[in-house]
Amino acid sequence: MADSGQAAITGMAATTAFGRGLTPVLDGVLAGTPAFGGVTRFAPRRCRANAAAELPGTPVLAEELAAVIEAAWAAAGLADGQRAGCPLLLALHCDPAAARDPDARQVTGDTAAAVAGRCGLGATPRIYMAACVAASTAVIDAAAMFAAGQASRVVVAAGYLVDADSFAMFDAGRSLAPDGQVRPFSAGRRGMLLGDGVAAVVLEAAATAAHRDAPVLARLAGWGRSGDAYHVCQPRPDGSGLARAVGMALARAGADPAEIGYVNANGTGTPFSDASEAAALHTALGARAALTPVSSTKSVHGHALEASGLVELIVTVLALRSGQLPVNAGFLGPDDECRLDLVLTPGRERQGRYALSLNAAFGGANTALLVEAA
Amino acid sequence: MSSSTVPAIGDLATELASPGPVVLAQAEWPTAPGDTLPGVPGFVTSTFSPLVVEVAQRCLHAFFGPAPADPARGERTGVVLASSTGDLATAAAVAQAVGQERRVPPMLFYQSTPNAVVGYLTARWALSGPVVCTVPLGDATADARACADLLIRSGDADAVLVVVADQARAPHQSDHAAALLIGPGSWTERDALT
Repeated sequence: MADSGQAAITGMAATTAFGRGLTPVLDGVLAGTPAFGGVTRFAPRRCRANAAAELPGTPVLAEELAAVIEAAWAAAGLADGQRAGCPLLLALHCDPAAARDPDARQVTGDTAAAVAGRCGLGATPRIYMAACVAASTAVIDAAAMFAAGQASRVVVAAGYLVDADSFAMFDAGRSLAPDGQVRPFSAGRRGMLLGDGVAAVVLEAAATAAHRDAPVLARLAGWGRSGDAYHVCQPRPDGSGLARAVGMALARAGADPAEIGYVNANGTGTPFSDASEAAALHTALGARAALTPVSSTKSVHGHALEASGLVELIVTVLALRSGQLPVNAGFLGPDDECRLDLVLTPGRERQGRYALSLNAAFGGANTALLVEAA
Repeated sequence: MSSSTVPAIGDLATELASPGPVVLAQAEWPTAPGDTLPGVPGFVTSTFSPLVVEVAQRCLHAFFGPAPADPARGERTGVVLASSTGDLATAAAVAQAVGQERRVPPMLFYQSTPNAVVGYLTARWALSGPVVCTVPLGDATADARACADLLIRSGDADAVLVVVADQARAPHQSDHAAALLIGPGSWTERDALT
């Protein structure tokens, strides 16, 4: 079914270190209470950092993914009989077991196939592994599939559970905050921290959602994606790549920067990346950049790597619907390179009909999702 | 790419009626027994990134000539990298270090995701379109081309470098990669740049 490309979000579910379900993560981001603690799932050896945002126990990714897909499907008010043929786009981190399995090809694929089979969705799911823009890229592709007439309903799911290999690798890259706090855009910020994130969203072509009178939670009004063409792992210092993605998202929706009431920033809390993102916002939003509320909720739920884009999209939708803005936690003081209107205290009310969710990744990949309140 | 080149969301259906992309160039690795992989500065331990770089550069060179691509086209060219295996050797090296309670070599951090090598390529060739990396479960080339098709049809790119790369998983196997540059047929016209 061909459509204009506008996508309706009709169901969503998330699991984070705050717990399973949407209410715990919404409460956490609105309160600005970080979920970080000492790592319990494994013992970080020879690492500078020792904190992450983890679910208790030993969650299994395939089971957590199936659970959020089921919950999102139910929230969308869809019947089991409508599952067959619905594409499943998955954003996954490389399974640590793959590095220890001689038949490695099967590990990640088996997880994806098991999730798809268990949920009765898409016979051959597509797996996005584009680092921190994997999930947002999957969301964009879903909307593009609607526009191309390739689908009218898509489930996007994503999952990352904090693991020893990633922890050790990011620690080796001196990216993890040794002080146990993520402080996006703040003076004295020292890095990111990993966090569990498993999420699912049901996206429907606008006409499809309207036809069945679906409960529309929000609309994906526009998107942008771009490359920096700059560096293996650092963003372009002037933020011009991310700024182009924001500009594309606004242009698609015909939206004005003044209509943006909230930016859920990529905000990893690393010195270089946050300064680049602040520059991008000033380029893309012009004079409105200093007046647009910004927060990075990685400061409370951590960085969910490939799943971060979906967790943060859901947080953005929840914020739009609640009318209150998530807090940028960990702030110590202003940084001249990050002159933004940060949301520093709970209870700030949302103005404007749109919100932006931004993500950026290694390789200079950038995405911008423009979400419109339903 | 300026935001003005992006179709308004309501105009996408019209955009989709335009002629489809064509194959502008293609390359493979290896092309003969004994074909070698030049090293890539900053990438160690694994053949994955050198494999991607070599096949991609062969393809890009066949169309653009020496790096970088001309700016007008480079800024409208994206990259899709599909790999069923991903960088197994890097992942195994990290796992081994963790298992032996050694520090992970910092160099491995910089090649920890498939995106990283794409960053090397796009910087060298000045390709500033979107970057997509996937793990295809079925026909890898078909899936990667479908991703590229979405990039082009949605107006996010005019052309896409598609790279499908897989490392050997057994001693008797060889690494293998293929690359396609797909884009508008008008790019093959001699005076298209003027």
